[in-house]
Amino acid sequence: MARQEERVEAKTFSEEQSSLWMIALGPTIWAVHFIVCYSATAVVCAKLQGLAADGWLLQGLIAGATAVALAGIAWVGWRSWRQWDFLDDGDHVHHQAVSEHRHEFLGHASFLLACLSFVGVLYVALPAVFVRGCL
Amino acid sequence: MTDATDRPAGGREGRAGGREEPRDAAEAHGDAYPPSRSMLNAPVDPDWQKASADRLREVWKTPTGWRYWSAVNNSEVGTWYSLTAFFFMLCAGVLALLMRVQLAVPGNTFISADTFNQFFTMHGSAMMFLFAVPMFEALSILLLPALLGARDMPFPRLSAYGFWCFLIGGIFVLGSVLFGVGPTSGWFMYPPLATKSEGMGADIWLLGLSFIEVASIAAAVELIVGVLKCRPPGMRINLMPLYAWYVLVVGGMILFAFPPLIAGDFLFELERSFDWPFFDPERGGDPLLWQHLFWIFGHPEVYIIFLPSIAIAAMVVPTAAQRPIFGYSWIVLSAVGTGFLSFGLWAHHMFTTGLPALSLGFFSAASEAVVIPTGVQIFAFLATLIVGRATWSVPMLYIAGSLAIFTAGGLTGVMLALAPMDWQVHDTYFIVAHLHYTIFGGMVFPVMAGVYYFYPFFTKKMMSPILGRWAFWLSFVGFNITFLPMHFTGLMGMPRRVYTYPGGIGWDWPNLISTAGAFVVAAGFLVFAWDLVRPKGRQPHPPRNPWNAGTLEWTHDIPDPGWGVRSIPYVESRYPLWDQPKLVDRMDAGRYYLGDAEEGKRETLVTTVLDAVPVQCLRVGGPTWITHLAALFTGGAFIFPTFHIYPPAIVCGVLAVACVIWWLWTGTARPPEKTEKEIGLGLKVPIYVSGPAAPGWWGMWITMLADATAFASLIFGFFYYWTSSADFPPEGAAHVVSTWIWPGAAGLAASWGLTRLARRANRAGGVRAARIALAAAAVLTVAGTAAMLWSAQAAGLDPTSHVYPATVWAILVWTAVHLAAGCVMQLYCLAGSLFGKLTPEYDADLWNVSLYWNFMGATVLVAAAVVDLLPRMV
Repeated sequence: MARQEERVEAKTFSEEQSSLWMIALGPTIWAVHFIVCYSATAVVCAKLQGLAADGWLLQGLIAGATAVALAGIAWVGWRSWRQWDFLDDGDHVHHQAVSEHRHEFLGHASFLLACLSFVGVLYVALPAVFVRGCL
Repeated sequence: MTDATDRPAGGREGRAGGREEPRDAAEAHGDAYPPSRSMLNAPVDPDWQKASADRLREVWKTPTGWRYWSAVNNSEVGTWYSLTAFFFMLCAGVLALLMRVQLAVPGNTFISADTFNQFFTMHGSAMMFLFAVPMFEALSILLLPALLGARDMPFPRLSAYGFWCFLIGGIFVLGSVLFGVGPTSGWFMYPPLATKSEGMGADIWLLGLSFIEVASIAAAVELIVGVLKCRPPGMRINLMPLYAWYVLVVGGMILFAFPPLIAGDFLFELERSFDWPFFDPERGGDPLLWQHLFWIFGHPEVYIIFLPSIAIAAMVVPTAAQRPIFGYSWIVLSAVGTGFLSFGLWAHHMFTTGLPALSLGFFSAASEAVVIPTGVQIFAFLATLIVGRATWSVPMLYIAGSLAIFTAGGLTGVMLALAPMDWQVHDTYFIVAHLHYTIFGGMVFPVMAGVYYFYPFFTKKMMSPILGRWAFWLSFVGFNITFLPMHFTGLMGMPRRVYTYPGGIGWDWPNLISTAGAFVVAAGFLVFAWDLVRPKGRQPHPPRNPWNAGTLEWTHDIPDPGWGVRSIPYVESRYPLWDQPKLVDRMDAGRYYLGDAEEGKRETLVTTVLDAVPVQCLRVGGPTWITHLAALFTGGAFIFPTFHIYPPAIVCGVLAVACVIWWLWTGTARPPEKTEKEIGLGLKVPIYVSGPAAPGWWGMWITMLADATAFASLIFGFFYYWTSSADFPPEGAAHVVSTWIWPGAAGLAASWGLTRLARRANRAGGVRAARIALAAAAVLTVAGTAAMLWSAQAAGLDPTSHVYPATVWAILVWTAVHLAAGCVMQLYCLAGSLFGKLTPEYDADLWNVSLYWNFMGATVLVAAAVVDLLPRMV
């Protein structure tokens, strides 16, 4: 019997695994982008002063990382928008005790987090527009 | 507005629109779950009802007399915890008052510079580590089981252990001020001031607080597992009370924020005690590494205390407005989003340290971005109040005050996040004003609101609305009189942490006003404290749900029989008391789950993470003294080294480990007398589960996540030294011996493999093979660990000579200590198998240990790669 209970846990998990990941994925991409920008600056400015002098190397790295991060978050946002399925029934409250509401709630939450992460990535990339080199 | 108009009707109609019933649930439980309306409507046999209530009362009875202190139930531990934190807060407040007296007039000689240094250091440290964080844990331990309709937390003895650690550590740290030996370097202990400081103050701070951090991580594990696994049946993840969401996020933040500080403490104490030069620039170290590690902890920490307090607002506001929260998903967004973004802010405390302008920009941008989710939740609260019918209860008054003050603090935060502004006011009273505005508004007032709001639940009495309003207006007005002028004193250039100042440069009046205001705040707190503790014996009990709230904590019986809930309900709504009209009657009748305690054991229900399908009837620990002993010896292991006395510290450490092993052996994962039991409504669940369905497995997973973060912080240190200095590793430095470290790592990897093999073999019935695998694994662990340590010893790496060998040794020592624990676990499982505690059927210990070893395998390989391969590459 105990084995069966253990399987229940594993099954619901696999059913919603993708949407559970999706909740954390947007903000995680933001965090990775942040770390990449921060470390790239630290390494380039500390170890590659010569290359960093004109500033384009760093700018290029950050632009590339930003493009990848935004594309990733946009994909998460699109997936979770479909999971939320707002246009189908217009539900944005998800307060009922049914699997559908759980499923759409997870989609809704990760969609909102994707939007926030998108803005967050844009914010973090902005300094590279205004500051050049390793002052 | 749909959530106002189409609430679920309660009962099964609410589920009619569902796409599918949970197939998995039906599969495991047949027709018994979810319960049908006719099952819920069936009358309860009155004889059984009375007999079962008596059995339940007997099992959950709080011990009396001096044995009262052996209680582990969340209501007792939570009460002690919160009162202790409140007492420490009052002590820290007295220190603040004394400092304000000293600063009232220029050139004052009320206290000496050294005393002043001790006071401000202790005021900050105590408010943060002895009040704000523990208060969150205390309130959550008190509230969470009730919000979730659970009988107790999943690991009640762990909470008790955490509390006793906190009490011992707190008294030790705070008491140092009374003897004039307190730490003097400020609550963030910057080296080299702190590493070079005379006396034992810095050691007290480091070791005492490391001890308390352990208690915080224990609480975080408890709370996360509580939210994920101890919800009532039916409370799917989209129906959780918002407080639970916040606790989940904050628990996660603790796991990633505290470990860097623990790693920093580890390095710091190695420098203080053994002269390993991590922060000493003359031998390649870098004091800025401490600032990074401290603030990677320190900034999320601000949100760690803010979010759970604002979570109280998320409970008070819907009740005050008498309607569901507006924008549940938006608040979840804001909690999760703030949790993540708050980790990208740490260097805004380091704007003046000479980081590249571009780096400053990243942290500045992230600091501005965090305003978005923080603002979203405040607007969600306001929207709820606007569309509902808000009543001006005392808790609501405090929430309103907190929002006003927090918004003001948030706005100065937006200013300070801009580096040029920060350069101007860094380390001035402007910062003091800003941080007090955010913390008073974001933490102190919401917690006071929570105390007024939940007091009838905690004590079954009411606090006085008149005194409540007095306390509010005194502290609100006094607060603004104290801290508003500090913005101007700061802009006029007065630095923080000076014990006195010259007259006639415009600082006299603002300081005098601030001092006067501080006494008004103190008066407010005295009124509050009196209202809190004044005897209320003659006051009649309030109604069960005095605010007409919608969540489960208000189903508690009055007077409190100690059992939490009479029976654990089947929940179908975010506000079950509003939406499920028969819920309370059925709970009281014992109609729902676990309404009995036939075997005379304390039990609570474990459910699945997403849909809260019942999976286990968990036996939890009852009153015990082992937690006190374990905490006492753990305390010894941390406190003796402060006096540089090591042998008793080692003895204490060994005894603490022995206590924990005894506690686990006698109290956890014991094979039950039967495999499953009927828990009511025809539902049968197992008493024992292992692997990912078991709370213990989740506890291990979460603990190891924190541990891995601490290890990652050490590795970050290695990379940090490489980027920050030109000679890391220095030219011609000795490296670890590859021919020792790699065979050692291979042996440990084999030990990891054997542990996993043992789990599989044991489950398949191969008990003998599992025992052999475990024994061989333990031997390999010892040999592999010795080989790894020897690889550095044989190369003659001297940790005091330079930061490079010191870092290598720190990584190896950290790994070795964890491997020693891993070896004890392997032997524990072996002993379990030999003495019949661990069988093919009941193998939770082995699941948890092999999970631990998954982390160990990764740790060993990363450690070997970083100390051997990397230095040769760069």
